Amino acid sequence: MAAASAPRDVTSYGIGLAAPLALFFLAFFVAPLVQLFILSLHNDSAGTLWGFGQYIHFLSDPFSLSVLGSTLLLGAEVTALCLVLGFPIAWLYHRVGSRAQTLIILIVLLPLLTSVVVRTFAWIVILGRQGIVNSTLLSIGAIDTPIRLLYTQFGVVVALAQVQMPLMTLPLITALGRIDMNLEDASCSLGAGSWRTFWKVVLPLSLPGVIAGCTLTYAAAITAFITQSLVGGGQMLFMPMYLYQQASTLQNWPFASAISIIFLLAVLAVVTVFGMLGQLSRGYGGA
Amino acid sequence: MMINRRSLLTTALTLGAMKAFPGLSYAQARPLVFATFTGSWEEAHKAVLVPAFRKANADASIVLDPMLSVDQIAKVNAARANPPIDVMLHDPGPALVAIGQDLVEPYPVEKSTYYKDLITEAQEPMGPAPFFQVVGLTYNPDTVKTAPTSWADLWKPEFKGRVGITNLNSTLGTGWLVEVARMHGGSEANVDPGFKALEALKPNLAAVAANPGALATLFQQGQIDISPGNFNAIQILKARGVPVEFVAPKEGAIAFKTTIHVVKNSPNRDLAFKLIEAALSPEVQTTLMNSPYLIVPTNSKVPMGGEIARVLAKDTAELKKKFVFQDWKKINEQRSAWIERFNREIKI
Repeated sequence: MAAASAPRDVTSYGIGLAAPLALFFLAFFVAPLVQLFILSLHNDSAGTLWGFGQYIHFLSDPFSLSVLGSTLLLGAEVTALCLVLGFPIAWLYHRVGSRAQTLIILIVLLPLLTSVVVRTFAWIVILGRQGIVNSTLLSIGAIDTPIRLLYTQFGVVVALAQVQMPLMTLPLITALGRIDMNLEDASCSLGAGSWRTFWKVVLPLSLPGVIAGCTLTYAAAITAFITQSLVGGGQMLFMPMYLYQQASTLQNWPFASAISIIFLLAVLAVVTVFGMLGQLSRGYGGA
Repeated sequence: MMINRRSLLTTALTLGAMKAFPGLSYAQARPLVFATFTGSWEEAHKAVLVPAFRKANADASIVLDPMLSVDQIAKVNAARANPPIDVMLHDPGPALVAIGQDLVEPYPVEKSTYYKDLITEAQEPMGPAPFFQVVGLTYNPDTVKTAPTSWADLWKPEFKGRVGITNLNSTLGTGWLVEVARMHGGSEANVDPGFKALEALKPNLAAVAANPGALATLFQQGQIDISPGNFNAIQILKARGVPVEFVAPKEGAIAFKTTIHVVKNSPNRDLAFKLIEAALSPEVQTTLMNSPYLIVPTNSKVPMGGEIARVLAKDTAELKKKFVFQDWKKINEQRSAWIERFNREIKI
């Protein structure tokens, strides 16, 4: 290689290219976040007295903590349901012909192409007293009076799982696609049954995708204000609605800011746990 | 004049910038900005109030910027010296917040032609009420054969699992709870009896909606058959073919004043006053009272007609007798405590 013009190191990029986006984030994301934090450090709703009163109020109030707890639990339930339902779809994707693959991708992506509001309204129609579920159960004689599905925890979990499903399925499809099919054949030829192959080979190798999918689904599910309030109704309080109530109806911005900061930290904590699991799984993934 | 590539480009860029940021071209005089509510209110104001205002004021330019009350307050609060809004529209709760935060000017009552014609309840010196919102009982006539007559009917055993209410985030939910408290000996200062009654209503509750709009969906889906509801919202549903009827309960329909305010430090103070005058005028109020808007007028010179005369009141005297007005100053004092209590106690 000629020494006259040493080739540029192609593995490094000028940091300047990232500057526009970085500036954009700084101005429109970091700055408002700092402002939010400053606002939360006020004890009165007018924002004149400094102090940690709002945080103490939230953290010493069993009711507020129960709202936080039920929101985090809701996220866990939705994520678990998405994983259980999404994994087989992703698995199937790599075992069918290309025509069927297109169909699966279309079905997975279709929810993303319609608005969340529309999807949520569809669930109201499905779960209502005269909805598809109730009228089917009534007609086959399984129940005498319509059962309450709408405005229940069950309804919210199911609706959110459908709404957020693509966020789980797409990373799983990618992760499963990276697994060498020969590994499964090898496992089988060495005497492992299908379940054992799944537990010992497929699942560990797909862990990076599982963790990416879980993180995305979890974060989207607990912050899904529209679906939570339309399917859950006014008596089931989750963090987004709690925040809205304080900020919008009661004009108590410092408390609302404190709620957002606490919520943000709680979500970050959960995402960090997922991230740590991802680190652990790297041992498998790289194998 | 020489036209070269550079000057052409500069001109094009300037024109483009003016198009993209209209604020540049209106640096000195911007059009009157009226923050109305979204949805049916915006439609009604665009179709009736704006043309009437422009006709009376030599086609003065006006912009409708529909947003929620809280957003109006936040926007004006963020730029008090040079507010981006000239005229605000508020429900009773937020109106008191806006007045309390010193965001609105007193209405120039002595200059006004129509203020003295408003019924007394609508005469608010910090911003008059051009319309009322009315809350009564809503029911599905297909499933509820005998029309309800009282708020107390919601507690009837036959409505087990069929009643819908909203939480206290909305003006409707809060006002309704105060009325229920009043029925059981309470008042704006004491809603304790109201909460006790809510406890007894639980077996009947099919849904606690997050907002009044969601109630409409629940009627459409047959999830609920009876609920407190807003007169205007019900008329819109009815026009779309949903089987709903509105009835004023014998305790009186709850009337909320929707008040209209001149924003403090508005650069368009005179036009703002003229827009509000147009909103108070009998001409505009008469048009808005008729189908399809059915907005309850506050000017006593407007003769009641149509659906409003049939369902609500034939004239101002009857309106005063049949409507219940609430003391929102008192309600606002304790509203946050009530919301907290509702959050804790009402789980179905």
